[in-house]
Amino acid sequence: MTAWRSLHPRSLAASAVMSTTIVVPVVAVLIRALPGDWPVAARTGVIAGAAVLVVAGVLVFDLARLRTTAWRLTDERLELRSGIAFRTHRSVPRDRVRSVDLTADPVRRLLGLAVVKIGTGEHASGERTTLTLDPLSRREAEELRGVLLRGSGEEPGDAPSRDVPLAELDWSWLRLAPLTVWTAAGGVLIMGIAYKPLDALGVDLVESGAAAELWDWVTTRPWFAVPLLLAVNVLAGLAGAVATFATAWGRYRLEREPGRLRLSRGLLTTRSLTLEERRLRGVELTEPLLLRLGGGARVKAVATGLRKKEENEADDVAMLTPPMPREAAGRVAEQVTGAATPGLLSSPAPGPPSHPRPGLRPHPRAAMTRRLRATVLSTAFLAAVTAAAAWSWSWPSPWAWSWTLPVLALPFTLWLAVDAARGLGHALGERHLVTRAGSVARRTVALDRGGIVGWTVSESYFQRRLGLITVSATTAAGDGHYDVLDAGTEDGLGLAARAVPDLLGPFLRTPGPGTPAPGTPASATPGLATTEAGTPVSGARLTRLPDPRTPPAGRPVP
Amino acid sequence: MRTVTNARRDRPRAGAAAMLRPPREQMDRRAVPVWTIELLFLTVPVVAAAVAAYWVFTSRPVWLGVLTAGFALLLLGLAVAAPRAYHRLNRWEVTGEAVYTRTGWFTHVWRVAPMSRIQTVDTERGPVKRLFGLADVTVTTASAAGAIKIEALDHELAAELVERLTAMTQATPGDAT
Repeated sequence: MTAWRSLHPRSLAASAVMSTTIVVPVVAVLIRALPGDWPVAARTGVIAGAAVLVVAGVLVFDLARLRTTAWRLTDERLELRSGIAFRTHRSVPRDRVRSVDLTADPVRRLLGLAVVKIGTGEHASGERTTLTLDPLSRREAEELRGVLLRGSGEEPGDAPSRDVPLAELDWSWLRLAPLTVWTAAGGVLIMGIAYKPLDALGVDLVESGAAAELWDWVTTRPWFAVPLLLAVNVLAGLAGAVATFATAWGRYRLEREPGRLRLSRGLLTTRSLTLEERRLRGVELTEPLLLRLGGGARVKAVATGLRKKEENEADDVAMLTPPMPREAAGRVAEQVTGAATPGLLSSPAPGPPSHPRPGLRPHPRAAMTRRLRATVLSTAFLAAVTAAAAWSWSWPSPWAWSWTLPVLALPFTLWLAVDAARGLGHALGERHLVTRAGSVARRTVALDRGGIVGWTVSESYFQRRLGLITVSATTAAGDGHYDVLDAGTEDGLGLAARAVPDLLGPFLRTPGPGTPAPGTPASATPGLATTEAGTPVSGARLTRLPDPRTPPAGRPVP
Repeated sequence: MRTVTNARRDRPRAGAAAMLRPPREQMDRRAVPVWTIELLFLTVPVVAAAVAAYWVFTSRPVWLGVLTAGFALLLLGLAVAAPRAYHRLNRWEVTGEAVYTRTGWFTHVWRVAPMSRIQTVDTERGPVKRLFGLADVTVTTASAAGAIKIEALDHELAAELVERLTAMTQATPGDAT
C-alpha cells in the first residue's frame, strides 16, 4: 500500500453536475443583460456558449486538481500531495489520526463517491487540523477508515449492526426540532437568504414598490395583518426547522464499536463520523432554554483533536445526538461515559422528591443572591442609561418611555436568575467530575477526571464576601476548561482536591491549632531557591513535543 | 528568596474552613523598579499630552487645571503604587509534583498544573527586564486555557527552573493530554 494513489476519476461527473449551480445564475444574468434587439438565434447561441464554457472550465479545473493530487498510506504515515499552483505535501503519522469523517452529498452518493476528512490532533493555533480526500469511491473510503482506525481496539469485523446502537432516530423527536430561536426568526431568515439571488436576477423588492405596497396594506388593517404576518413567519420557521432536522438527522444512528464511537446521519447528504474513545474526555448535555422547557436535550462529545465546525455546517462536529427527550439523552450520555455518572439522568429541574437518584450537589444560597443582585443592578443601570439618553436627546422625547423596557422585562430576568442559580450543581462520579450551570444555555458536563490537566481557582471580591469560589478544570479537550461556578468555598476546593488526588490537596490549608505558619519550609520538594546554580540559558526556548509513538493508553493520573 | 508572609492578609477568614494557602515564593525585589519603569513609559506620554493639551488648546480655566492635575497625579500615583501591590500579591511555587501560582487583586486567581501534564516551558525577557537581569517563565499544558506565567524571576533562576521543569516533564511518558 505504498504506491501513490489518485482520487476517484468519477469526481469529474460530480463536478459537471455541480457546475449547473454556476450555469443557472450565469444564464439568468445573460438573459437580462443581452440587448433585446438581438435575434433569438444569436442570443441562444451566446447563452449556450457561455454555459458550455462554464462547464468546460469547471471540468478542466477538476481534472487538473485530480491529476495533481495524490495520496498514499505507508506503514507509519498518511501522505497527501496537492495543489495546482502551490504544491503542498502533508504527512501525518497514522497514530495521530483521531477521527475519520465520511460525507456524501446526493450527487456524490448517486455516483458512489464519498469525501473523506481525516482529523489529526494538532492543536497549535493556525494549523490545519484536517486532511481532505475529495473524493474516493465509497468502498475505498470505508476501507481507508477501517485501516486508519484499526489498532485502537480489536478487529472491527465490519459488522456495524452487530450490537444494539446507543441511539437511533425516533421520528417523534421531530416535535423538539422547532424549539430553537431560529423558528421565531424563520420567515425573516428566509427573506434574508432569498434576497441575494433575487437581487442578482434584478428583482428589487424595495424599488419595485412591493415593499411600499405591503407596508400600506399592513398599516391600513394592522389588527388583521400583523398577526397574519407573525403567523406566516412562525409557520415558515417551523417548516424550516423541521426540514433542517429531517435532512441533517434522518437515518441517524450512534453506535459503539470496540474502542470507538460511530455516528452516521443525513437524509440527502450522508455523514458518518468515527471518534476514538481514547480521545474522549467526557460528555456534555446541552439544554438551550426553549428545548429544556420542551423537555429535550442534546448530547455533545468532549474530545481532543476534533476538527472545528466549518462555516457551512449547521451543527457542531462534536454533537452526538439531535434534540431528543431529556431522559433518553441522559441515558445516551451516561452510556458514552461508560461509568456511573450522577446528574445526567436526573430531571433538569430541582426534581420531584420521588426521584431518589443521587443528583448534583446544589450550590449555596449566596449564588442566588449574587445573581439576583446582578440582575437588579444591571436593570437599574440600563434603565438609567436609557432614561438619560432619551432626556438628553430632546424633551419631550418620543422615546421618554423607553426606560420602562428593562423594568418591564424584570420579572423574566429575575426568573432567569433564579433558574440559573437553581441549575448550579456539581458532583463526583465514578470516573467523572460533573458540573452544571446556565439558564438560557444550560449545560451539564461530565469530564473524565483523568483528562484534567490543571486547575484554575478564582475568587472575585464579591465572591469572597459571599463565601463563593469558581473552580475551573483545565483539559486538552473541548472548550479547554470546564468551570464549577459559584460553589461554596470549602465545597469547591474539596471537590477539586478529591477529583484529582494529590494535585490541589498539598496546597490546601485547613485551619486549626496544628496549621503550620505560611513561612515554614514545605514538606514537599523544596522551592527552587535551594537548588544549586545551573548554566544560565537566557532567552532559551525549551519545548517538549508529545512523542507520537508513545501509547497514550498509559496516561498517568497525576 | 523565601520571605515572611504577610500574616494579616493571609490569615484564613472566619467561617471559611479550608482555603488555598499562598505559594511560598515571592517575586524578585527588582520587579518593582522594572514594572514602575514600564508603567511610566506608558503613563508619562499620556500625562504629558493631557497637560500640553490643557496649556495649548484651552483658555486655562482653573477648574480644568485642577482636573488635569488630578488626572496626572492619579496616573503617576498608580504607576508607582501598582507594582508594589503586584509584588506583594503575586506569588509562585514549584514542587516536585506541580507548578502553583497566585495572582490578582480584585479577583484572586490560583493556578495549578501538574508536572506530568506540562507540555512547553518558555522564558521571555523584555528590554527593561533584561537590564535588571529578570525573566518571565511561561508553562503551558495541553489545554488552551492552562498557561501559567511566573513573572519577574532572576534570569539565572529562570534558566534553572526551565531546565528542571523540562527534565521533569521529559521523564513522564504519554502525550500529556
